[in-house]
Amino acid sequence: MIPSDHFTRFYNEVFKFLESQGEAELEAYFLAISKNQEKHILELIETRGLEGMDEYWSHIKIEENCDMDIDRNEDRLELRMNVCPSLSKVMDNDAEPMGRYCDHCAGWIGPIMDKTGYHLVYDVIDRKKPQCVMRVFKDAAKAREAEKEVKLLMGWPGHKVG
Amino acid sequence: MSETLRYDETGEVHLDFHGAANTTIDFIIARYGVAAMDEIFRKVGKDVYRSIHDDLVAGDTGQLVRHWRHFFAREDCDYDIEVGADEIVLTVRSCTAWHHVAKLVGNPSPHFCDQTIRTNEALAEGSPYAIDTQITGPGACRQVLRRRA
Repeated sequence: MIPSDHFTRFYNEVFKFLESQGEAELEAYFLAISKNQEKHILELIETRGLEGMDEYWSHIKIEENCDMDIDRNEDRLELRMNVCPSLSKVMDNDAEPMGRYCDHCAGWIGPIMDKTGYHLVYDVIDRKKPQCVMRVFKDAAKAREAEKEVKLLMGWPGHKVG
Repeated sequence: MSETLRYDETGEVHLDFHGAANTTIDFIIARYGVAAMDEIFRKVGKDVYRSIHDDLVAGDTGQLVRHWRHFFAREDCDYDIEVGADEIVLTVRSCTAWHHVAKLVGNPSPHFCDQTIRTNEALAEGSPYAIDTQITGPGACRQVLRRRA
């Protein structure tokens, strides 16, 4: 058994292998993980929208030991990751971190937001620092406006940026 | 004997990661074959767990036993470890990872336990030991470390 505590370090090895196979393979994998994650989050979003997302990530905050602030209003949900345990473990690792490790989060979340009609703005800030800000908007124009403040905007399969 | 435990994790556990591991195993094998998946597990065993691997190469089994105890306890598995003069036996009567995936998806990948079999092989690669993993039932196995003949 690879302990669940060490999934992220296993994930890192998978990313390195897939990156060596080409960008399309990495994207196909993000979509497979996104599909896997639907069983945990899709119904919550479809039935309860931003409140359902809040419930999902509040649960994740506890189970994944995240130092994270969650803020929700009528228009958007904001997750402010102060210390990301996933990237922290990948960096505290006897194996080499994959340079674009952070890309996987938007890689699986983005397709779910596209499917449910929400608008994701994912600011990784710096791929070498375990912190990020994710915002999910109901309104596309507000999301586009929020993108202007972002330091390192992430795309996802079907939604390229830059 | 080394007192190290390179990855000493604390806090909650997120068992749904085992579901993502199951999806990953199916994805990699469907697109690249079993050998590619095995090679990734080999890197986990030799690179991610370099500290345990290096200890085994040096003839020290202490960290592996501590690692097994720490993580099988954290995941609330039904297991025991017998440290004998000639062999160390980890008996897993109920693997939390396998049963959690079974709850999530019905049938875990037929290759789900390769993560244990192949990672164990890589941990012991180049060392005086071999780790043989026998699957003894659904979510059950016996992992035996002994000196190579």
